[in-house]
Amino acid sequence: MYAIETKDLTKRYGKTDALKNLDFTIDENEIMVLLGPNGSGKTTLLLILATVLKPTSGQAKVMGLDVSTQSTRVREILGVAFQEARGFWRHKPADILKFHANVCGVPKSRRDSLIDQIFKDLELWEARNKLFMHLSGGQAKRLEISKIFVQRPKFAILDEPTSQVDLRGKRQIWAQILKLREEGSTILIATNEVREAEYLADRVTILDKGQMVVCDTVRELKDSITGGDIVELEVEAADPRSLQQELSQLEGTVKIASPNSNMFKAYVSMAESWVPRMTDICYRKKARILSIRVTEPSLDDVFLHFTGRALGETPNA
Amino acid sequence: MREIYVIFAIARNDFSYFFRTKWLMAVLLSLNLSDMLVVAMVYKGMMEYPYFTYFVPAVIVMGLFAASLDTGRRIWLALREGVIQYELSLPVSTKGLVIAYLLAGGAAAIVYASSLMAIALLVLPGGAIWSAFMLLPFLFVLAVGLAGIAATLAAIASTHGEFFFAFQNIVQVALLTLSTVYYPIEVVQNYLPPFLVSVVVANPLSLAATALRQYTFAGAPIELSFLGQILLSATPFAVVGAIAYFWALRKLQIKGKI
Repeated sequence: MYAIETKDLTKRYGKTDALKNLDFTIDENEIMVLLGPNGSGKTTLLLILATVLKPTSGQAKVMGLDVSTQSTRVREILGVAFQEARGFWRHKPADILKFHANVCGVPKSRRDSLIDQIFKDLELWEARNKLFMHLSGGQAKRLEISKIFVQRPKFAILDEPTSQVDLRGKRQIWAQILKLREEGSTILIATNEVREAEYLADRVTILDKGQMVVCDTVRELKDSITGGDIVELEVEAADPRSLQQELSQLEGTVKIASPNSNMFKAYVSMAESWVPRMTDICYRKKARILSIRVTEPSLDDVFLHFTGRALGETPNA
Repeated sequence: MREIYVIFAIARNDFSYFFRTKWLMAVLLSLNLSDMLVVAMVYKGMMEYPYFTYFVPAVIVMGLFAASLDTGRRIWLALREGVIQYELSLPVSTKGLVIAYLLAGGAAAIVYASSLMAIALLVLPGGAIWSAFMLLPFLFVLAVGLAGIAATLAAIASTHGEFFFAFQNIVQVALLTLSTVYYPIEVVQNYLPPFLVSVVVANPLSLAATALRQYTFAGAPIELSFLGQILLSATPFAVVGAIAYFWALRKLQIKGKI
């Protein structure tokens, strides 16, 4: 049995399809990362699995329980950290976590020590008695995710868990997420931070325009980009289109993408032999090379490879 | 069993939020206490009519009413701030969540009104404590009903932003004007057409004020049939409020927004 399973899952807001016939599974004790730009349907999928939204059609199951017809039982085994921290203005972090621990059935014997420990681990100790409305964005976000670490649910949903959090805070949160998985939790994370996905994911699902583009391990996804090397080239050219066309015919070129008119991203089989030939072409076309960088593919490149757009770009309707 | 615990935990959380809202407490207490301790006392000395016995129950009912209506503000805030989505992910059914909010609204109002009543009881005979105690369960049902009105307003106003406060004021003025909270039925009969007089008589606020005046402040023996009328008049409000709030939550689950 899968921990999470969706079949033909569709969510429509008016005439807009936020999710389209999504078939998707997560194994038990796996960290699955949903990667996609804003509007790709990540949060909608999370909210359906969290029973906060009802699907328009199709089915979604959490640990074998249907999210539409058995929502109360699903809520007993899941914990959600929302994209934006949720709390009443006049509640204090200590009260918010105590309330959350109580309703989620954390035994009173270890509740207070657990909350104190999480406050210390996530550097919220000083802020524990401030009103929610006086917390900074980063503190509110850390408080939101603290709910999961206090609850330690069987299935944890984290929507952009480290947005608005500084690098040090990100590392603390990532360490806690990995610890949670070690204890047996299944974890679903939505993010558009490539580094977060690479660090945490057992598998990555790329969503775009409400549909699953691809789902695999980080290694497999990177290997799926034929070529192996990426050459990022910044040029000043009179006719960038014809330059791109000529470069794409060079031996060893797999694909050339152009995020903007001065920038080319070439997926090539052997950068060391491709680059000198490329410079000859640029010289011939009177294009001035501003910078060249040879890299390994990242998940951003994987996204670009499969969708033709960078992660930060907004999809066309 | 577990769900009942969660319902009470959510209700307690919302209940405490009412008393944490310090500006609201300051406004309500200053208005109600100045009415009770200054206006009622001064007028008592100025006229033959037993104004304290008449006016203080009105202040208590008004306090109960205002505290119940604050349930709507808290629901409206929960919808606006997205807290409701968090609560929908907790181990409680949507119905349970609705019940929790109405219970919290009723409980906050009855605790607030009881504190006003306790102050009034300082100057009333000892027997008044017993009748006040007897009235509390009925006033609690009334408070839940009034919280239901507030929930209905919050559900309707959730699509209209700040209009919630306008809706709340309209309902407050209408329900208080068409009641015997501040003036006796004889006055109402002189100024309003007969069909509105029957509305005034059936208004649960009128019934609550009358019950307090007769049984707690005047010391008349309690008639259960009269208290039954309070239950009958308040229950429809609670039911409508529960349905309206449930409908708002369903809409949120289907449309993703209110």
